[in-house]
Amino acid sequence: MKPADVPARDWKALLLRHEMILLYVLIAEWLFFYFAGTSVNRRGVVIGFGTLDRQFDVLRHSCEIGLLALALTPVIITGGIDLSVGSLLGLCAILFGKLWHDAGLPIPVAAGLTLVIGTLAGGLNAVLVTALRLPPLIVTLGTYSLFRGLAEAITRGAVTYTDFPAGFLFLGQERWLGLPTQAWLFALVALAVWLLVHRTTFGRSYRAIGYSPEGARHAGLPVASRLAGVYLLAGGIAALAGIIYTARLGQAKADAGTGYELFAITAVVLGGTSIFGGTGSVHGTLLGVAAIAVLKNGLACLPVVMELNAAEEIAGLLTGALLLLALTGGVAFRMVPRLRRSRGAPSPTPPSS
Amino acid sequence: MKNSPLFRLLAAAALLIASALNAAESQLIVAMLPKSKGNAYFVSCKAGADRAARDLGVKLLFDGPTDSNAAKQNEIVENWITLGVDVIAVAAENREGISTALRKARKQGIQVVTYDADAQPDARSFFVNQATPQGIAHTLMDDAARLLNGEGEFAIILATLTAANQREWQQLIEKRWKEKYPKMKLVAVRPCDDLKDKAQSEATALMSAHPNLKLIMAICSPAVPGAAEAVKQAGKTGKVKVIGLGLPSENRRYVKEGVTDTVVLWKTEDLGYLTIEAAVAVAKGTLKPGAKTFPSRQLGAIEIQGDNILLGKPFAFTKENIDQFNF
Repeated sequence: MKPADVPARDWKALLLRHEMILLYVLIAEWLFFYFAGTSVNRRGVVIGFGTLDRQFDVLRHSCEIGLLALALTPVIITGGIDLSVGSLLGLCAILFGKLWHDAGLPIPVAAGLTLVIGTLAGGLNAVLVTALRLPPLIVTLGTYSLFRGLAEAITRGAVTYTDFPAGFLFLGQERWLGLPTQAWLFALVALAVWLLVHRTTFGRSYRAIGYSPEGARHAGLPVASRLAGVYLLAGGIAALAGIIYTARLGQAKADAGTGYELFAITAVVLGGTSIFGGTGSVHGTLLGVAAIAVLKNGLACLPVVMELNAAEEIAGLLTGALLLLALTGGVAFRMVPRLRRSRGAPSPTPPSS
Repeated sequence: MKNSPLFRLLAAAALLIASALNAAESQLIVAMLPKSKGNAYFVSCKAGADRAARDLGVKLLFDGPTDSNAAKQNEIVENWITLGVDVIAVAAENREGISTALRKARKQGIQVVTYDADAQPDARSFFVNQATPQGIAHTLMDDAARLLNGEGEFAIILATLTAANQREWQQLIEKRWKEKYPKMKLVAVRPCDDLKDKAQSEATALMSAHPNLKLIMAICSPAVPGAAEAVKQAGKTGKVKVIGLGLPSENRRYVKEGVTDTVVLWKTEDLGYLTIEAAVAVAKGTLKPGAKTFPSRQLGAIEIQGDNILLGKPFAFTKENIDQFNF
């Protein structure tokens, strides 16, 4: 019943896996915007979605939300949630700015310390979830306000750190080996998280915990320490996202990353990870991030949307629609074969959408 | 199986090529970015900008964050860069943050002007400056002198004694006072921390400490209704006059009741109009760095100081005209 249970040798089933369907949607989306969102302007210059610059923008804009989605994937697979990652991104951006600007630390030291602080902040979630056995939703709802509040308190809502050195801005605004610099970091983190979730016993234990925490405990898994690990990791990755955000915009302000956690959760769920835990994949999350990023950036290139001056709002609307479609579509896919089986029909060709 | 939805979408996409190419613009495209697009101040700017776009036959894109959000401002500018607009006019939420995106736009041959709140000078060619400190100070001081016939006691309420713009206005007001209105007397300068309540209690204290006080000049926006409320509650409407720098909407009630005589600000519609005119002129190459004046269709000859295009003297909102403005 779950996509993960489908044997990989059955190619029809493979082609209908959630991730593959998402991939078709992504390709269709991309082609649509490539054709409908590219044009030649009065000066004879190709503009819009089809330009390489725009593709790099898509990549650049997805890195921070993408990192948060990567951070959230293991958390959600264990059946948990972390609403605090967006706020933590903001807090870490501010702390990084403060360490560099006010404490006068060199950028690499400030960045290193920020990663440590982010991980510790994730540790706060970890302690509350594992030691006190509080529900992650409530715990991280609390730290969501706490971290954002701290960021605002530190800056009194007014201080913005700017004037970062060019060497640091290179991370967020330039290219290295042909790609936006931060894309390399993102790829590295994506690979690490993918290996963790799909190629280690840790990943297997996350699924076991998400499927049944009690069962995992009885099976002798160190549930508390595994759970603590995913929240610590989420904190560390959120801190990295905060640093990259600061480099992209050249400024650290207390409102950095507001609402990003919701985009990240959307990407994870769109990518096929069950919000109840137990199943999910990192590549699904990456596809989810890409589907949302292409939609958002592509829409802004459509002449029709341009006229309306509301690209952001329409993107939000369609992202919501896409998520609901993916969820209901998933249910429908599982319903149809079951219905046919109950009617006693022979094994059918899979239904077309 | 896997192909059918995919190919259907491909076909749809192919059909759209034609429409996309047809939509390629022949008009000049001006993109205007407010700090936040729902703010009444910028909605009013847009009304002027729309009029200018119609008058000049250009296409206007107006988009911005729904709340003042520097990151979204950057993303919108980046969208416009890929759309290949001709010129971008920006009210910067964050000076340094937006300048990164604006420099990128300039590098790609897109002209940039700023209005309302400036970016860094190397990130734009002109700043449409809504009011100079002199303009604000002179308008306020001259209006105070007009109301008091050039003699009597007055007091100033400002935001803080440390804010740079407040200090500058205060000094220029005092300079104007000493030069032109020697019979008037400045009895106190009080800070209100940009709070309406504090302004109200300061105004009350000023009136009891200086029984001959004739006028309170409030030079930060919360202080104007604050001072007016104090005067009204003390029953001194008309005896102690209130003027200040603020939004018409916040002061309409007091202006109509006769507590506040004048609220000074610029006409935001004119700011929007001039911004678009300047942006178009820069894009067409008719307005170049070094120009000393700029001919506006609607506002006459506009002075340029350095790279600042000056909207001119601030506008005085009074009982007679305040109903025409809704920001």
